[in-house]
Amino acid sequence: MEIIEKIKTNKSIDNQTEIQKICLNKLQSSPLPNPKSEQWRLSNKSKLSTLLDYSVNEKDSKFDIPYPKNSQSTIRLVIGDNCQINLVEENYSINQLSEDKLVKYIKEQISCFDQNENWSDLLNLSLNSTKNTLGFKVSGSEIPPIEIFSHASSNSLNAKTLIIFLEKNCDIDLLQVNLGKDNSSLSQSTFLCLEENSSVNHGVVSYGENKSNLLNSLNVIQQKNSKYNLGSLHFKFNYARFEIRIKQSEGNARTNIKGMQITKKDEQISTYTKIEFNGPNGFLDQINKSLADDKSHAIFEGSIIVPKIAQRTDASQLSRNLLLSNLAQIDTKPQLEIIADDVKCKHGATISQLNEEELFYMRTRGITLVEASKLQLSSYFQEIISFIPVSKDRWDLLDKLLNEN
Amino acid sequence: MVNENLVKDVVKEPYKYGFVTDIESEKIEKGLNEDIIKLISQKKEEPKFLLDFRLKAFKKWQKMKEPDWAALGYKKIDYQDIIYYSAPKQKEKISSLDEVDPKLLETFDKLGIPLTEQKKLTNVAVDAVFDSVSIATTFREELAEHGVIFCSISEAVKDHADLIEKYLGTVVPASDNYFAALNSAVFSDGSFVYIPKGVTCPMDLSSYFRINSGDSGQFERTLIIAEESSSVSYLEGCTAPMFDTNTLHAAVVELIALDDASIKYSTVQNWYAGDEEGIGGIFNFVTKRGKCLGKRSKISWSQVETGSAITWKYPSCLLLGEESVGEFYSVALTNNLQQADTGTKMIHIGPKTKSTIVSKGISAGNSKNSYRGLVKIGTKATGSRNYSQCDSMLIGDQASANTFPYIKSQQSNSEIEHEASTCRISEDQLFYLQSRGIEFEEAVSMMVSGFCRDVFNQLPMEFAAEADKLLALKLEGSVG
Repeated sequence: MEIIEKIKTNKSIDNQTEIQKICLNKLQSSPLPNPKSEQWRLSNKSKLSTLLDYSVNEKDSKFDIPYPKNSQSTIRLVIGDNCQINLVEENYSINQLSEDKLVKYIKEQISCFDQNENWSDLLNLSLNSTKNTLGFKVSGSEIPPIEIFSHASSNSLNAKTLIIFLEKNCDIDLLQVNLGKDNSSLSQSTFLCLEENSSVNHGVVSYGENKSNLLNSLNVIQQKNSKYNLGSLHFKFNYARFEIRIKQSEGNARTNIKGMQITKKDEQISTYTKIEFNGPNGFLDQINKSLADDKSHAIFEGSIIVPKIAQRTDASQLSRNLLLSNLAQIDTKPQLEIIADDVKCKHGATISQLNEEELFYMRTRGITLVEASKLQLSSYFQEIISFIPVSKDRWDLLDKLLNEN
Repeated sequence: MVNENLVKDVVKEPYKYGFVTDIESEKIEKGLNEDIIKLISQKKEEPKFLLDFRLKAFKKWQKMKEPDWAALGYKKIDYQDIIYYSAPKQKEKISSLDEVDPKLLETFDKLGIPLTEQKKLTNVAVDAVFDSVSIATTFREELAEHGVIFCSISEAVKDHADLIEKYLGTVVPASDNYFAALNSAVFSDGSFVYIPKGVTCPMDLSSYFRINSGDSGQFERTLIIAEESSSVSYLEGCTAPMFDTNTLHAAVVELIALDDASIKYSTVQNWYAGDEEGIGGIFNFVTKRGKCLGKRSKISWSQVETGSAITWKYPSCLLLGEESVGEFYSVALTNNLQQADTGTKMIHIGPKTKSTIVSKGISAGNSKNSYRGLVKIGTKATGSRNYSQCDSMLIGDQASANTFPYIKSQQSNSEIEHEASTCRISEDQLFYLQSRGIEFEEAVSMMVSGFCRDVFNQLPMEFAAEADKLLALKLEGSVG
C-alpha cells in the first residue's frame, strides 16, 4: 500500500482530478503488478521498488535541451509547467486539446486497461496532474518536425503524459526524448491516435544518468491506411521498462518498429510489445536489438495477436541480441497467437556475441581489436539509429553510444 | 479457393482403437489418500523405500496447486473421483506368454502389437501395459544375453531394487510439478530399461500403453538408464477406448545417459481425443525429461502427438555433460476441439552442449495448438549452441496456433537461434498437384506429410510410416 500512500501525500491530491480518482481507485485493489504475471515475471523487484522510492515532484527543475535546434521551423515542447501550443498556419494547425476532450479520451482508454498490463499507465495517470499533461491535435500538411522533451528531476519521481491526435491525411515526424537525472524516476505515458491515411515517423530516445529509472509506456491506435514507424533507443538506466501497445483497429495499416536497448553495469532494461490486428491486411515488421554487458540484464517480450478477423495479416518479428559478458543475461520471448488461417507470420530470435571471424578479418587488416569491435557495434546500432527521425543528423547518437561502450 | 464442401463430404474415419476389451479386472475404490497409496504399494509388494518415496510425493502433491499457465481450458479434474489402480485379473505369476489371458493377447493383436513371440521378424521387443499393470514383455532372453534389462518397473523394483533406488526420481523429482508429484505417489507400472556399459541394444525396445477402463487413471513411470558407451532406441505407443468421460493420464519418463551413451525415445501418441463435440477423451499430462549426465552423451526425443483431448507435455533435456547433445523433433496435430500445449526445454549446463528443436504444429477444426519451449544457457555452458525451428500450419479459420518460446542466455560465448513461422496449405501447390490428377485429399495429405518430413525422418522406419498414415487419417474431412 506504500505507493498509494505516496500518491495520497502528493500535494496536488487535495484537488484530485477525476482521472486521478479513477486510477487511484483501480490501484487500491492491487497497488503493485502481479510479480508472477508474464509481463512482470522478469522485472527486478528491488529495482522497481527503488523507482517508487522517490517522492513525487510536481515542479520541474531547470531543463537544458541536450542538443541545439537546427532549423527555426522545428517545434519544441517540454512537458511540464506552462507547456501550451496553439498554432494555426497556412497549411497546418496544431491545437491544444481542451481539458474535457482529454478527460473523455483518457477515461475511454482506462476503461480498456488491464491491471497488470497497464499498471505503468495507471501509475502515471494517478500521479499526474493536468499541468504535466500535454495533449494536442495535428491537422493539415507540410507540418514541421516536432520534438517533445520529458525529464525527471534529481531525487524525485515525475510523471508526464502526452496525448496526440493525428487527423486524416496528416503526416508528421515526431521525436520524443526522455531524460533522467541522477537518482530520479520518470513515468512517461504516451497515447497516439492515428486517423485514416495519416502517417507518423516516431522516434523515442531515452537515456538516463547515474541511478535513473524510467517507466515508458506507449499506446498507439492506428485506423485504416495509417502508417506508423517507430525507432526507439533506451540506454543508461538503472531500471527502465518500455511498453509498446499498438492496435490496428481496423487492420489495413502498416507498422514498422525498430528498437534497441543497451544495458551495462547492473542495469535492467526491458521492452514489452503487444501488437494487435483487429482487421484484415495488417502489416508489421519489427526488429528489437539488445546489447547486454557487465552484470546487466536485457529483456524483450513481444506478442503478436492475430484474431480470426485479421485475415491476410503479414507480420514478422525479430529479436537480435548481443551478450558481451558472462555475468550479463538476456531473456527474449517473441510470441505469436494466431487464429486466422490466411496469414503470413514469422518470428526469429538470436543471442550471440560479436562475430569472431569478422573481428579477425579486420585485425588482419591492421585494425585494433577495440576499433574492430566498435566498427561491428556501429553497424549493429546503425540500423536502428537511422530509423529515428528528426535528430539523427545533428545529434550524433551513434558516437554517443560508441563512446559509452 | 479451396472447395470446403468437397472435403467435408469425405467420410470420416472413426477412431479405430476405440473398442473396449471385456475382461474382468481388479479395481480398488475411487479416491486418493495415504491408505490408497499404501494399498497400491502393498499390492505390488514394494520395498519400504518406494512406499516412503510415494508418501513423500503425496505430501508434496497435497501442498501443490494445479498449474494454470498453459494455454488450455478444461473442466476441473476431481482427483477423488478416479480409480488409481486397475489390473486385469490373471494368474499370480506368468512364466510364459501362453499363460496370458487370450483376450489380452487378442487386444494387443487388434492394436497391431506383436506380443506372440513367433512374430520375431519385426525384431522389436515389446512391454505391453494394460491399465495399471504390465502384461508381458517379449524377447527377454535374447536381451538378457546382451545384459540388457527390459522389464516392467514393478518387476525391476523386485529384481533390481538397487538401480531403482539409485535413479528413481533423480531426473524428475517428486516435487517437480503437480502432475509429476501425483504420478510419484500413485504410479502403477511402466517400463524399465538398463543398457550395460558398451552395449548397443540389439533391437528396438517398445512399450505399448493401453487404457481399458473408463474410470481409472493411468499413471505409468518409465526409467531408462544407458551406461557408458551404450545406445538404445525406445518406442512408445498409446491408445484408449472411446468413453464419453475424460480419463486422466499422468506419466513420468526419466532418461539417464552416461558418458558417450545415446538414447533415442520415440512416441506415437494416439490416445482417444474425444468426439467432434469435444465429449470424452484423455487428459494427457506428462512429464518427460532426460539427463545427459556423461560427456558426449545424447538424448533425442521424437514425438508424433495426434490424440488426447488435452495434451500438456514438454519432453526436456538437461545437458550436464561436456559436449552432450539434446534433440527434440515433434509433430503435434490437433483437430475438432483438441487442445495441445506442448514443446520442450533444453537446459544447457555443461560446456559445449548442443541442442536442436524442430517442432511442427498442425491445427484444424476448432482446435488449439501451442508450442511452448524454453532454451536456457547457463553461466558455465561456454561454446554452447541451440537451434530451434517451430512451424505451424493452420487448416480452417477456426483453429488457433500459438508460439511461446522462452529464451534465456547467461553465457556470452554461446549462440542461440530461433525461428518460427505460421502458414496455411498453399493454394498454388494444391492447384499444381490437382492439375496433375492427384485427388484433393491425397494432395493435402502429401503436403502435410512434406511439412512434417523433418520430424518423420527422425522416427524409426515402421513408426514413420505409421505416423504418416495416422496424420492422413486424422485430417480426413477437416480440410477446407
